[in-house]
Amino acid sequence: MNRSTYIVVGVVVVLFLLSWILKAVSLSGEDHRYILHGFLITMSAFLTLAIFSFLYRDNPFYKFAEHLFVGVSAAFWMTQGFWSTIVGNLIPRLSAGFSEFFMVPHQPSPWNIAYWIPVILGILLLMRLSAKYGWLSRWPLALIVGTTAGLNFVRYLRSDFIVQVSSTFVPLLGREPHQWQGGGAFISHLDLSATGQLAALLTNWIIFLGVFCGIVYFFFSKEHTGVFGRASRVGIWVLMITFGASFGYTVMGRISLLVGRVTFLFRDWLELIS
Amino acid sequence: MKNKCLMAVVLLLVGFSGVAAEEEALAGDTLVTDPMLLFPAPVTNLEGRDSDNDHGHSVDLSWELSPDDGAGQRSVMKYDIFRWIPTLMDSADVIRSAIGVALTAREVDEVPGADWNDTLRFLRDVLDTLIVQFPAAHAAYPNDGEWRRVGMVPSGEGCFEHSGPKDRLSSDFLPDYCDFRFRVDAVTSDESIRTSSDVAGPIQCYGQWFNSGRKPVLVGVLVFGFLTILMVSRARKGADLYVRPISGIEAVDDAIGRATEMGRPILYVLGLGTAADVATIASFTILGRVAKRVAEYQTDLIVPTYDPIVMSVAQEVVKSSYLDAGRPEGYNEDTVHFVTQSQFAYVAAVNGIMLRQRPATNIYMGMFHAESLLLAETGVEAGSIQIAGTDQIAQLPFFIVACDYTLIGEELYAASAYLGREPVLLGSLKAQDYAKAAVVMLALLGLAASNFALPWFVNLFHVID
Amino acid sequence: MKRQLPFVLVFIFGVFMVFQYFAPHEKSERIYEFFLDWIYIIGTFALALGIWSLFRVSVDKIKNHKEAWRYSYVTLAGLYLMIAFGFTQRVGEPWGWYFVWLLLSLVCLGSVMQARAATSTGQKKKYAAAALVALALAVVVALLDDAWAFYFYTAEGLENSMFRVFFDYILIPILATMFSLLAFFIASAAYRSFRARNVLASLLLVAALLVMMRFNPWIPGAEQVARASNWLMNVPNLAAQRAIVVGVGLGMVATALKVVLGIERGYMGKG
Repeated sequence: MNRSTYIVVGVVVVLFLLSWILKAVSLSGEDHRYILHGFLITMSAFLTLAIFSFLYRDNPFYKFAEHLFVGVSAAFWMTQGFWSTIVGNLIPRLSAGFSEFFMVPHQPSPWNIAYWIPVILGILLLMRLSAKYGWLSRWPLALIVGTTAGLNFVRYLRSDFIVQVSSTFVPLLGREPHQWQGGGAFISHLDLSATGQLAALLTNWIIFLGVFCGIVYFFFSKEHTGVFGRASRVGIWVLMITFGASFGYTVMGRISLLVGRVTFLFRDWLELIS
Repeated sequence: MKNKCLMAVVLLLVGFSGVAAEEEALAGDTLVTDPMLLFPAPVTNLEGRDSDNDHGHSVDLSWELSPDDGAGQRSVMKYDIFRWIPTLMDSADVIRSAIGVALTAREVDEVPGADWNDTLRFLRDVLDTLIVQFPAAHAAYPNDGEWRRVGMVPSGEGCFEHSGPKDRLSSDFLPDYCDFRFRVDAVTSDESIRTSSDVAGPIQCYGQWFNSGRKPVLVGVLVFGFLTILMVSRARKGADLYVRPISGIEAVDDAIGRATEMGRPILYVLGLGTAADVATIASFTILGRVAKRVAEYQTDLIVPTYDPIVMSVAQEVVKSSYLDAGRPEGYNEDTVHFVTQSQFAYVAAVNGIMLRQRPATNIYMGMFHAESLLLAETGVEAGSIQIAGTDQIAQLPFFIVACDYTLIGEELYAASAYLGREPVLLGSLKAQDYAKAAVVMLALLGLAASNFALPWFVNLFHVID
Repeated sequence: MKRQLPFVLVFIFGVFMVFQYFAPHEKSERIYEFFLDWIYIIGTFALALGIWSLFRVSVDKIKNHKEAWRYSYVTLAGLYLMIAFGFTQRVGEPWGWYFVWLLLSLVCLGSVMQARAATSTGQKKKYAAAALVALALAVVVALLDDAWAFYFYTAEGLENSMFRVFFDYILIPILATMFSLLAFFIASAAYRSFRARNVLASLLLVAALLVMMRFNPWIPGAEQVARASNWLMNVPNLAAQRAIVVGVGLGMVATALKVVLGIERGYMGKG
């Protein structure tokens, strides 16, 4: 680290201490643990600013916050997983002795013997660390991959194939309350309003053609030339419209996230807004 | 003589008092003439059967409405459903309550030193013994039991589903293979004025081994499975399978070459899915191909993972690729490493890798969420060529605007076939295309059916759970 | 056997799950619930592998003085502290020597790292000695201090107030801030992509602008824009989403079938 870096770090440390003192003083009237809470709020604010500094460029403060975040979060999920899944869910079913040791209520059941299988498979997974017996770790992987592949196969076949096909069965000639009553009736009662029969007709046709052209775009077996190519072209245009709409739709949501952090900085830390 | 007069006076007095009482009664209640006229007509044709396509513990009842349903002075307001319940089930409820008390006491340890586990084991054994006797107790009808209300439907409804959980410890537990008997009471606004139907039963409930409501899905499974096997076997026999070029996939080789020339590593991100997600499985296959080329070109590869099982699988894949390329010594155990299972902590770490190690090529293949934009924008800042592929529709726009090449949806799943050019995988790709053609044809047929009033075709695709 | 058995297992489990979808019977449901439970349990065991990998990569960075190696100490410290908080609990009113114990154990771990990374024998011995001293002191403090203890209770382990403090004042602020960076990145992505270079980019631009302006009452023709935007979301957007879903769905179904049938084997590696 060069001299300017030391100066910057020094300034940040001084600002941190100053902020801590001022925050503690402001909390002293209402909070008996004002020193601790003053420190914690100041630390949160500085970590927030350290992450924001990434927008300028990579720097030691961002690196510190990033590495701290990685370590703390990894251990958080491991600890959470141990207590909630292993101790909360598995141990009560394994044996009364284990349950007593971990002081959790035992859940006896004739099916509990089956819960020794994932324990064995979990231990086999840990065999990955062994060069000689690492191949045993493939068995629990096979259980996980096979089970979820079978599950996904039928469920997505239903939701993304059968349901989607049946959803395209839209009335092209009319729908409630505008039932098709023949071409003559259509012409004589022509209604160009947004809720009229023509609009309903056009909407259904556009949906159908959009789906058709979109599916054509994803054909891999045929070169996209001629009529097929033109349909594919229309398909990608419709896809781009969707992506643009999705992009625009998300913008507002993302900006609201920033509002939350700015509110924390200006209200909870600096107390500039109430 | 005197006695006869006295008798006459008594008779007269009794006679007058009777007349006076009748007149008083008439004066107080002029509407009541014959009580039988107030009771409504009962429901008829009460039938019950086991509920279809379920795991048991459920009975469907149906009946014809009472003629007095919502009509006239004897208007039926609702129907009460009664089931004959043997007294043995009350004993089971007592045991269940005792189990509940014991569980609560064990939680708070009201009596220190008491071995609640033994008590609970004993109580559960007793409950199991009682449950075994349920069929015999139900068969003992009409002895040792009573009719109890189990449900109610408003007037106008002629059906009722009587179901219960499969958990034996629940007080609503409805046992399978027991002879249930039901009756339905037509009830007026006065609860006491009701008429019972004939008893329906015995009816048993049980689970089914086949859900007939899911037949369309079964047909889809068989057809798609057959199609895949057919195309794969054709491919194995050497059929020529053309696939159109996809720019994003063709760019992978160029991107790896670029990284080699620049002497910078390649970053491969498998996404935030687990090994259970299909997109991640597709990404493993692509990783294998990329790792093999990387091993051949002797470029560095960095694969930070989000899920520890994904890390295990990815390590296997990369190691095998180095073996295939004939460079097992080039494989580094830390090429594929775990970062953290927290979404944004993972992104922070990967962003750090991008800015510090400056990979020449970033490849994002798999399942992504809100972090997709963070990754892609940081990659732009680092000056990397970026190739992305995901099936998450919401994230595709961000990859499209920030990456050089994007594989949209199904193209991610096709990529493994493209990169390897294995006939078997290309055959499977053909099967997908035939399925898409089937979608289009079925959609056209369904359009015609729905527009020309042929509901039977539309109903073929109706899945009932 | 080593290679083939996993694929046989994949086939068996995959076919069972397909069968189970059509068999609502209680026995089939019970096995299905077992399998789903087993996956969670195995996944938790896998976390140990993950933590070990993170630990090893951090130690390797320190040892070989790789890019930003000093910050790996921060990662390891955060990892250790959070695990310590998850498995200890205060039993007395004040914390006693708890934080001293934490500090001593961190010094011990740091000294071990430095000892591994040291190049000369003298340095190795110095750091090893420091580690031993710190370890001894930490053990003495742990044995003598009654204010806290190692606990194996369920809820109490996570109720350690320091665990909550780290969660509330470190994890949550950084997580929320990372999330909020999206606001800046979406602006920069929009700026770069909205220089319409071709028809496709123009379509994306127009659609995005229409939807973004949807709820803006101050632009001229706000009502027409809102209507056009609603039409865009309900008609072409719906059509394209359906087309993508069909394609993605078929891709997923095909991949899942290939995995079950053993046609797709790349995920299991070789050797």
